[in-house]
Amino acid sequence: MTPDEVLARLDAPLSLRRRVGYVILAFAGLTGSALISLLWATEPGLPLRTKVAFAILIAIGMGWTAFGGWVVTRRTPLFARDRVVAGWLGVGAWLAFALGALAITLPRHGINLSLLGIMVTLGVLAAVNLQTARRARVTLVRRRTELARDNSTTVLTHLRQAEDTDRE
Amino acid sequence: MSDELLVVRCQLGERDAFAELVRGWHPAVERYVGRMLGGSDDDVVQEVWLAVFRGLPRLRRSDRFAPWLFTIARRAVMNRLRDAYARPEPAPITDIPDRDRDLPDDDEADGVIDRQLLAGALAALPAREREVLLLFHLEDLPLDACAQVCAVPVGTVKSRLNRARALLRQELLRKGYQA
Repeated sequence: MTPDEVLARLDAPLSLRRRVGYVILAFAGLTGSALISLLWATEPGLPLRTKVAFAILIAIGMGWTAFGGWVVTRRTPLFARDRVVAGWLGVGAWLAFALGALAITLPRHGINLSLLGIMVTLGVLAAVNLQTARRARVTLVRRRTELARDNSTTVLTHLRQAEDTDRE
Repeated sequence: MSDELLVVRCQLGERDAFAELVRGWHPAVERYVGRMLGGSDDDVVQEVWLAVFRGLPRLRRSDRFAPWLFTIARRAVMNRLRDAYARPEPAPITDIPDRDRDLPDDDEADGVIDRQLLAGALAALPAREREVLLLFHLEDLPLDACAQVCAVPVGTVKSRLNRARALLRQELLRKGYQA
């Protein structure tokens, strides 16, 4: 087996688009489930068949979340750049949830403090996650620059030594 | 380009760096797997690279890539050779000449073990002895890296190397080679 054959077999896990796709899938499932749960909790007197339909939709959403989470932690892990992308997607998912939650609750119930607390907590979590991913990436970029500089210095030193030897 | 730089670039998510890493290390992985299993095995090699890809984001010491890679390769090989590794560790061989019990970085010992002869007779050695010979003599890993890969103390690596050399010597003599 040649290295190119190895790389061809690893094509699926190596695809950034595919990894980001799984992250989007996980966040979409989570946001959808959360909004449906909120609708269920704030809507009084729902008929039984609506409750069953909501339960099924929540289960489907959580299923996609679990699957996406499993893929990006066990099957195709996220690299530093992917984590930053995932961090931004997390912020986007939080924003979608927050706007959806406000749209569902504000017209009928006004401002609900416990819901507001949950939204702020989730927002802080999303921001911290994004910041951690960005910091980790910056650390690696700095290390890459240092190593590339060391590499260039070593190559230049070898070249000078070779030139000196030729002159002798 | 150094391996550490390649590893850092991989951890950042640069796909071409991973391709370069595979191209640089694939022959060593294929050689190790082939020699340990007594023949090439594409599935195991593939399993090793998949595990490397999955584990790279969690690799803390980017400067210790080679021992980490061989640890993964060893695990994949162990899964295939579970029975061979399950046997108890044999007693040290004591009836070997003093020079065979010298430290493995001894020049004289290095001269005795010709790489080609070593590769040819390796198949006859037990798995533990074969792997230390492969890692130390064929892959040129230092003793501490061999110890890390095999998850044993450095002293154990040395004793396995001594035992492996004695067994290899017997094997080569049996095949008619002159040491």
